[in-house]
Amino acid sequence: MAYQLYRNTTLGNSLQESLDELIQGSLNTYRFCDNVWTFVLNDVEFREVTELIKVDKVKIVACDGKNTGSNTTE
Amino acid sequence: MPSAPSRAPRPLAYWVIPQLPTADPLPMDEETETYLELYLDQCAVQDDFVPPRSPLFSPVVPYVYTPNPSNPETTFNSHLESKETSGNFSSVDLSFLPDELTQENKDQAVIRSKHETEENSETQSQQSRLPLPSGQDVGPGSDSSSLSNSRSHLHPGDANSIQSAPAKPNCNSSPLASITPMTPMTPVSECCGIVPQLQNIVSTVNLACKLDLKKIALHAKNAEYNPKRFAAVIMRIREPRTTALIFSSGKMVCTGAKSEEQSRLAARKYARVVQKLGFPARFLDFKIQNMVGSCDVRFSIRLEGLVLTHQQFSSYEPELFPGLIYRMVKPRIVLLIFVSGKVVLTGAKERSEIYEAFENIYPILKGFRKA
Repeated sequence: MAYQLYRNTTLGNSLQESLDELIQGSLNTYRFCDNVWTFVLNDVEFREVTELIKVDKVKIVACDGKNTGSNTTE
Repeated sequence: MPSAPSRAPRPLAYWVIPQLPTADPLPMDEETETYLELYLDQCAVQDDFVPPRSPLFSPVVPYVYTPNPSNPETTFNSHLESKETSGNFSSVDLSFLPDELTQENKDQAVIRSKHETEENSETQSQQSRLPLPSGQDVGPGSDSSSLSNSRSHLHPGDANSIQSAPAKPNCNSSPLASITPMTPMTPVSECCGIVPQLQNIVSTVNLACKLDLKKIALHAKNAEYNPKRFAAVIMRIREPRTTALIFSSGKMVCTGAKSEEQSRLAARKYARVVQKLGFPARFLDFKIQNMVGSCDVRFSIRLEGLVLTHQQFSSYEPELFPGLIYRMVKPRIVLLIFVSGKVVLTGAKERSEIYEAFENIYPILKGFRKA
């Protein structure tokens, strides 16, 4: 799946899904470098069965890993 | 691939289109409409005349406009540049002039004679001479589109004041010039107002400095860099919505824009991002490499028939791909034609090539209309 994304961009015919997300959703920025994804989202709702948390800004840092990706929020 | 006809059609007489004022930057989203309005205004003036159509594989020679704008980088004016011109009116066969609507057969004869004269008198010049498209000579069963042709090839102009004339449609000074059809900037196709819409523009530019891709990926917003996968930074901006591939050599590819100006603007924005990161970026050799357009003819098409009669240009393997791949020779455009009537045109370096290719294919497609 990840390869498909790159295949599209190398052909220059990217669907720009990321930008679609930007326009429609709350994704502010994204970054991928050294196999680490960094996302910044705005106006996010974290919903759990019991509670609901609303946040103005969320930064998600994610890496590949066999065990777990690391996630931090601020 | 058939040998190109020994006599390519050449214009006999030309419309002179007054040049759009280049000093007046068109807002990007209104650009197409402004061109269209200008064209349609001029069409309305010349409603009586019907130019003959060019044969398919030697399609309508595109128009010629007043001299290029002083800014050579204005790509959206690129279709205004002259492609082929001829200044010799003396041997023009004007027998087609009256009663265009019923002139189909005459057009054929006229086309042939025109081809010969056109050939002799072809010259390249900066004068905004418009080629006279030769008559229609399309596939089997093509009904007359003489009537419809009128819309797509009419354009008033002053035959004499070609050059640097202000953008102001003038009445023709001579009946000869007034007849000359011209492919407008945004041609109305064949009596149906179908104009291919640009969907994607791919362009390249040289920032002329070595780039540290990792630094760019770390500091720029909306950037991806996975050197194991692809040796470039993939960056996106929202307005105009585009994607850029930025290489360490300093070269950049910009894709996804819907117009020439948007592509250029987007490329400039990417260059600015790179510049703000501390690199001495410049903006050299911006060039549009490919333009993709699409439209809908609104009727079903018999692709089998089309591939049989145009086998030199077509390839249709429904088991591989549901669309027929039509490789037009002139202009050199590839069209994907689908049964539904949707057409994709690609391979153009200029907007006019897309329009021209569609103008050429439409009558053929009409001939293969289902039921």
